[in-house]
Amino acid sequence: MEATRTASFAERYGRRDFLKKSASAAVAAFGIARKAFAAERVNIGALYPTTGSFAQIGQGCVNAAKLAVQMINNDGGIKSLGGAKLNLIVSDVQSDTTVTRTETDRLISGYKLSAIHGCFASALTLIASEVAERAKMPLLTGSSSDLLNKGRHYTFTPFCRASQFALAQLQMSKLVSDTPKVAVIFENTAFGTSTSNGLREQAPNQGVEIVMFEPYSAGLTDASPLINKVKASGANMLFPVSYLNDLILIIRAIKQNGLEIAINGGSGGFVIPDFYKNVGGVAEGLLGVAHWNHDFDGDSQKVNEVYKNQYGEFLFEYAGGLVAQTFMIADALERAASADPQKVRDALSTLDVSSGYAAMGPGGRVKFGPDGKNIYAHPVGVQWQHADLASVFPKEDARAQLMKS
Amino acid sequence: MQGALTSRGLWVCALAAAALALPLLISSGFVIDIFIRILLFALIGVAWNLMGGYAKQLSLGHAAYFGLGAYTSTILLIRFGVSPWIGMLAGGAVAMLASLPIGALCFRLRGPYFAIATIAIAQGLMLLFLKFRDFAWGAEGTTIPNLGQAPLMMQFESKAPYYYILLALLAVGLAITWRIERSWMGYYLVAVGEDEDAAEAVGVDSLLIKRNIYLLSAFLTALAGTFYVQYIYFIDPNTAFSFNVSVEAALVSIVGGIGALWGPVIGAVLLEATSALLQSWLGGGHGGVQLSVYSLILITVILWRPSGLIGVLTDAYGRVVRATAAYAQKAPLDG
Amino acid sequence: MLTTIVQAVVNGLLIGGIYALVSIGVTLIFGVVKIVNFAQGEFVMIGMYISYFLAARFGVDPLISLFVSMPLLFVIGVLLQHFLIRRVLALGDMPQIFLTFALSLLLVNMALLLFTADYRTVQTPYSETAIHLGGLYVPIAKLIAFAVAMMLSGLLGVFLRITDLGKAMRAAAQSRDVAMLMGINPDRVFGIAVGVALALAGAAGSLLMPFYPVYPLVGQVFVLMAFVAVVLGTLGNVTGALLASLMMGVAESLGIQFVGADSGLIVVFAMLLLTLAIRPKGLFGGWSR
Repeated sequence: MEATRTASFAERYGRRDFLKKSASAAVAAFGIARKAFAAERVNIGALYPTTGSFAQIGQGCVNAAKLAVQMINNDGGIKSLGGAKLNLIVSDVQSDTTVTRTETDRLISGYKLSAIHGCFASALTLIASEVAERAKMPLLTGSSSDLLNKGRHYTFTPFCRASQFALAQLQMSKLVSDTPKVAVIFENTAFGTSTSNGLREQAPNQGVEIVMFEPYSAGLTDASPLINKVKASGANMLFPVSYLNDLILIIRAIKQNGLEIAINGGSGGFVIPDFYKNVGGVAEGLLGVAHWNHDFDGDSQKVNEVYKNQYGEFLFEYAGGLVAQTFMIADALERAASADPQKVRDALSTLDVSSGYAAMGPGGRVKFGPDGKNIYAHPVGVQWQHADLASVFPKEDARAQLMKS
Repeated sequence: MQGALTSRGLWVCALAAAALALPLLISSGFVIDIFIRILLFALIGVAWNLMGGYAKQLSLGHAAYFGLGAYTSTILLIRFGVSPWIGMLAGGAVAMLASLPIGALCFRLRGPYFAIATIAIAQGLMLLFLKFRDFAWGAEGTTIPNLGQAPLMMQFESKAPYYYILLALLAVGLAITWRIERSWMGYYLVAVGEDEDAAEAVGVDSLLIKRNIYLLSAFLTALAGTFYVQYIYFIDPNTAFSFNVSVEAALVSIVGGIGALWGPVIGAVLLEATSALLQSWLGGGHGGVQLSVYSLILITVILWRPSGLIGVLTDAYGRVVRATAAYAQKAPLDG
Repeated sequence: MLTTIVQAVVNGLLIGGIYALVSIGVTLIFGVVKIVNFAQGEFVMIGMYISYFLAARFGVDPLISLFVSMPLLFVIGVLLQHFLIRRVLALGDMPQIFLTFALSLLLVNMALLLFTADYRTVQTPYSETAIHLGGLYVPIAKLIAFAVAMMLSGLLGVFLRITDLGKAMRAAAQSRDVAMLMGINPDRVFGIAVGVALALAGAAGSLLMPFYPVYPLVGQVFVLMAFVAVVLGTLGNVTGALLASLMMGVAESLGIQFVGADSGLIVVFAMLLLTLAIRPKGLFGGWSR
């Protein structure tokens, strides 16, 4: 019934549409009402999977998106547009590629948007970005797939790319051992494939030997066969590139099979509070990488506090990143002094911030190159310490000591 | 009989006219998108119905052909620059070729064995394509190059042309089904579907019939696959060989009317409309509500009208006809 | 190398036990009621949630919650048969299949509504421990699951062979009409069959909880393997499902080890299609139609 077992079934349940003739009239009328309303507000679209296999993270993202908009509105909105407030229009993309396609379309054609951000999972973001490109709507995303910067003029990626994650992971492996022998196991969808490719390409340069490089079908019933294979490979370090459900099984299987091995869990499901909740103390000391962390500077710590108070867990990588993205959109709106998406896009391409919430990511500065990449973006190495994520690598970004196990 | 035929013919013409005029009346791209989805599911359903409705071979793996069609045309497009119009036909051919060994393996299986085998095959294809990184982009999939307005390469900037293409494909599918219904093949199909052993006993070559109808079914499904890639600009194994597609194909026929010409169309309209209604009422964010209600509706239909809702419509139509006939009869007497 | 192979086989057998519990339930329902229950995985999920909440709220160890999940799911099974399945028995393959399909969809989404998509785990003292045997590691939680699964399968086998009710079920499975002529009440027998099958699913759920996270879609992860096992072992054949499940667990594990980490499923499918090519009714179903 499914190969990527959880994902495919999520697709089974992903279908969405509107009604026929009566609804079209309603939509038209609603559209008119909305457009009148929009004169006082600036619409921003947010596309996240709040149902389906990415639902946990998607929900956190939506929470953060709402928080960011609240922060901007409380601070007076977009001053150059007469204090216009931001209006967030959220859409659930159901962790499904087709739904992403339709929903992105629906948001863009149904509302007068100035920009959109989404979708967490690279596979989904690729589609949204394709639609946005053809509709000439600027899209910001923290998704790491390198494909997002190929031949696009409307997609902006303020944070590091999959290939950069890979490099960081390889460099971090030297922290643990002088002769790293790495086993790479990765889930066989877009996320796993692009990250692991980066690892394979750059390992020789970094003097890291990759002794095992295997894709696996996401949605494991049992991680023991995989771990058995890792054991047989003689690796002293494991880089799993996985989403949360598989990570839980992998970490547990490592313990169950008595495998003594250092782990760098990458990002994705590894750097969210739920990972710790489910794996518990075993997570202490485990290394990962992230494109954003909440201990970077005063601004990120402030946002983290607010988020923690409201939602009871720390502000995780993608969510924090998209708070920054919202501020980047606000900055572009200020400079463009217009809600027109084309003008916003142009303002984004000339964005250059090094302070405030828009710049609170590793590197502390955002400026986009011609391919939509932030030329200052780089990943930060993180470590689970005392049930929280601390930045430990590289030196400039370290905010805590590396815990030795 | 004569009267029924013309009135039926009139209905079809009216429907066709409405369908053709639709994009001219509706300006919202989003609403056209809904109709496109309705037509797409109807097309896939019509293709499935040939196998599942008439010959009663319950395939839950039609996504295999959907995906083969989609990948064939995309590979031809991106690697060799071939137009998707040709790619579509090539995809259909590939699907037909694939249906031969698949049929050979699966037709010996009966009932649920057949269904599960078809599921396994579609899934197996998905797994294979997840592995083929060099030729077919593997798990990451690929987007098709943005050519803007390029009719010869099946890309358009507005939605209406996509709508018309699907409408044409659906019309082809319906025409084929209609012709088969009335041909000797149709009779044999139904015979095989009802009782294969009995059909064999009277000399029907059931394997040949099944093979032929499978060829057709696979071909049409593959056409839908090509269209789909051209429409959503993206392909990856999960989307192309999605179990969802296989289920949809069967679902629209079951809900609408299995083994009936218009069944899949009615099913597609009803299911998509329900889906859209639920979406607009309940919205996103309450994960699970929409699909819970949707599945409850499905269960109700299955329990109440297992042969499909087309029965409800024909009954209602019949009642209207009888009422008007009765009225027409009464009138002269009343003078 | 030998250790690796043996470890792979052990891993496969252990998870095969879980596949067996799920697949036996499916094959039992098919054998007796002649319906393929596509929602079987969701009942495993329900069993898991029951165990999760008992553990989280009351600190009940999942293995003990077996005594709650199994009876509860038995009752659900009887009700399911009486109110839903009974109504589609006279209809063809397709409404039956789609009924259980729709049920599966309903259950997953209700779970999503009630419990959200969060992954939840239970930590027990034995969740991460294992027995060392030389270079071999046998995780205790999985060993227990395997042992209980085998025990339950054995009990079922005894039940079917020795008790009157069991024999009645087998009779109804062989021929419903003749069974009726013999005075067997098919409704009652079907109800029990579905009840037992769902109880087994519930057991699988409780046994999984110590080492597997629960979330609404979890049932679907296991149901695929279960279905392949059912077909491989011949629909309706309980022993067949058990043996096929174990075989598949081992094949998957060896496939991952020696073919490729993403090839476990491909190996299993290849096994399935090969078997069907030679024996269209599964390993125990004879040569021809």
